[in-house]
Amino acid sequence: MRAGSVPSRQTLLESTDPVLSRKAGRQLRKLPADPELRPVTVAVLATCTVGPYRDLLTSALVGAGMWPSIDEGAYGSFEMTLASGRFTTGGEPDLVSLLMDESFFLPADWSPAAVPALAAYVEGRLHTLRELIAAGLAGTAATVVLHTVPLPAQVRDGLISLRDRAAVAQLWAGLNAGLLDLAREHPQVVTADLAGLLADAPFAARDDRLHRYADLPYTDGALLLLAGEVRRAAQARAGLSRKVLALDLDNTLWGGVLGETGADGIELGGLYPGNAYRQLQLSIRRLREQGVILVLASKNDAALVDEVLVGHPEMVLGADAFAVRAVNWKAKAGNLRAAAESLGLSTESMVFLDDSPFERGHVAAELPGTVVLDPSGDPAHLVRTVLRTGWFDVLDLTRTDRERPQLYRARALRSDFSTGFGSSSDYLTALGLRLAPAAVTGYTVARAAQLAARTNQFNLTGERFDGATTTAMSTSPDHLVATFEVSDRFGDEGVVGAVWVHRDGGRWRVLNLVLSCRVLGRGIDLAIAGWLARQARAAGATRLEASYVASKKNGVAAGFWSAAGFAADARPGSFVLDLTTEPGDLPGWITLRERSDA
Amino acid sequence: MTTSAVATATTVAEILAGVLDEPAAALREQPILAAHDWDSITSLEALAHLEAHFDMSLDLTAFNAARTVDDLTALVHEHRNHPTGD
Repeated sequence: MRAGSVPSRQTLLESTDPVLSRKAGRQLRKLPADPELRPVTVAVLATCTVGPYRDLLTSALVGAGMWPSIDEGAYGSFEMTLASGRFTTGGEPDLVSLLMDESFFLPADWSPAAVPALAAYVEGRLHTLRELIAAGLAGTAATVVLHTVPLPAQVRDGLISLRDRAAVAQLWAGLNAGLLDLAREHPQVVTADLAGLLADAPFAARDDRLHRYADLPYTDGALLLLAGEVRRAAQARAGLSRKVLALDLDNTLWGGVLGETGADGIELGGLYPGNAYRQLQLSIRRLREQGVILVLASKNDAALVDEVLVGHPEMVLGADAFAVRAVNWKAKAGNLRAAAESLGLSTESMVFLDDSPFERGHVAAELPGTVVLDPSGDPAHLVRTVLRTGWFDVLDLTRTDRERPQLYRARALRSDFSTGFGSSSDYLTALGLRLAPAAVTGYTVARAAQLAARTNQFNLTGERFDGATTTAMSTSPDHLVATFEVSDRFGDEGVVGAVWVHRDGGRWRVLNLVLSCRVLGRGIDLAIAGWLARQARAAGATRLEASYVASKKNGVAAGFWSAAGFAADARPGSFVLDLTTEPGDLPGWITLRERSDA
Repeated sequence: MTTSAVATATTVAEILAGVLDEPAAALREQPILAAHDWDSITSLEALAHLEAHFDMSLDLTAFNAARTVDDLTALVHEHRNHPTGD
């Protein structure tokens, strides 16, 4: 961050102080765009005054590594803008954040004697919103983030009959259920449960003075919560979420110091505080089941740790839960770096949890891209410390996400396997690599979009096609979108690559090709290029055009098109493959298995 | 002015300067708020900041009636000595 007075990005991301976030957001908006942050365009449409929401959203998005350009819809234009689908004065936004209050759903006045009529009105307004959103979505690929709305105290407490009060609460719960249902109905919609979050936050939903004075229906604290939810959606959409959770053991996954107390003396399970550590382990296991890779980073006696991992009856995370176990007396930063390398990931994909200020400080200094979490304090807060910021959020879980921990565990084993071979081609041949290209389907669109969002290294053009665009291309005769699955003797890597191609008769043009960094160095990229050339040639094309757009992180792919036999075109970064002659051979160690006609 | 009143005046001026993005000296030279970038948005940010810092809830009508830095300082000081229990 260039402004000296603006707090660090992690402070902004984890901020629960609306004064700090609002001030930082205001200062950030005066700065020029930071080229190191991912640009994101957000349109805000509101049924009320936007006010401080813009600064709070700016602060939250910058905290997550994005540089926002926020376009605020004109006051009073909520319905019209939403229906038109023209959310900004400039280009297409990445996100549309809807800021809604009860004024959209309630009549100006209502009778407590006619609760069913009120229910019908609210239902009608929900229907209107549903139609407006459907209309708005027709013209955009943006992710639309809306939220549940708290029932105003004025409505709830305005009913003196307890039975009617329950009926109104029920109709309002129905409204919020309808808002949440929009996320199920439309893949582009994310609904944040603001009403639920407010029940668990130290903020009032409303300051009546500001509501009446400035049509600000939410306090800065409530808006900070909402900004955090929009940030989580933006972060997930942009592929900026983390993949790895690296964990210390003593006073982190259990209470006490194993080397001092022995395996039977650690605090784990049973009553407080042991139950807090067990709950943390259960929560981490659930993260693992959703694709988060676990790494053990502990300065300990490895044999003693194994004794606990295998034999302690309350240990939820057994030895198999961890893709990499770095239990030794070396510096943790070095261990994390080595773990990242064996997993084929960057240390920037890691979150590190350790009770020792020394270890946290060392890792923060050595690995500035790694998120460092502080679990010190009461162990009852451990679960919240790990979960509340949403470091690992994704828009949708794919099959690959669920299988990722096992895939990466196999990869770490594969690193060991590779040491016994004289040459890399011997090793690759022994791996028994299989590549399965397939046209993208409804089941794989989310994974293709996720790869586009999250792949930075082997990303040829930087074009990040999202789910909506990919779906549209998959049904267009002018386009081909294909995904690539890879497997070997150690297991199935799942869908690890995708290509987006424009087909124009004899001329095919690769719009982008992305490949997960975890399969690089095995010739998969060359096999994909060879497969694509054969597809184009079989369809009658005579030219296959491609390009490489350099970014800060895709240097690894700079020579790819030349290596794949393409000739440099006159325009810099452009390449072409002549399809009038037979394309070259595919790498001999890879077997091609086509799953369907692509 | 008591020590406490001086401390309150200093803090209020610093908060207002922070919200208005100006040095505190500029507010001392020109204490009339309207002469600065004092609009509904900045005034409500100042309100939020003052209330959070002093852990109080001010009367919005009285807050909006304040025209100068001294008026706001007096409002805060008065509320600290005689909270309305809001």
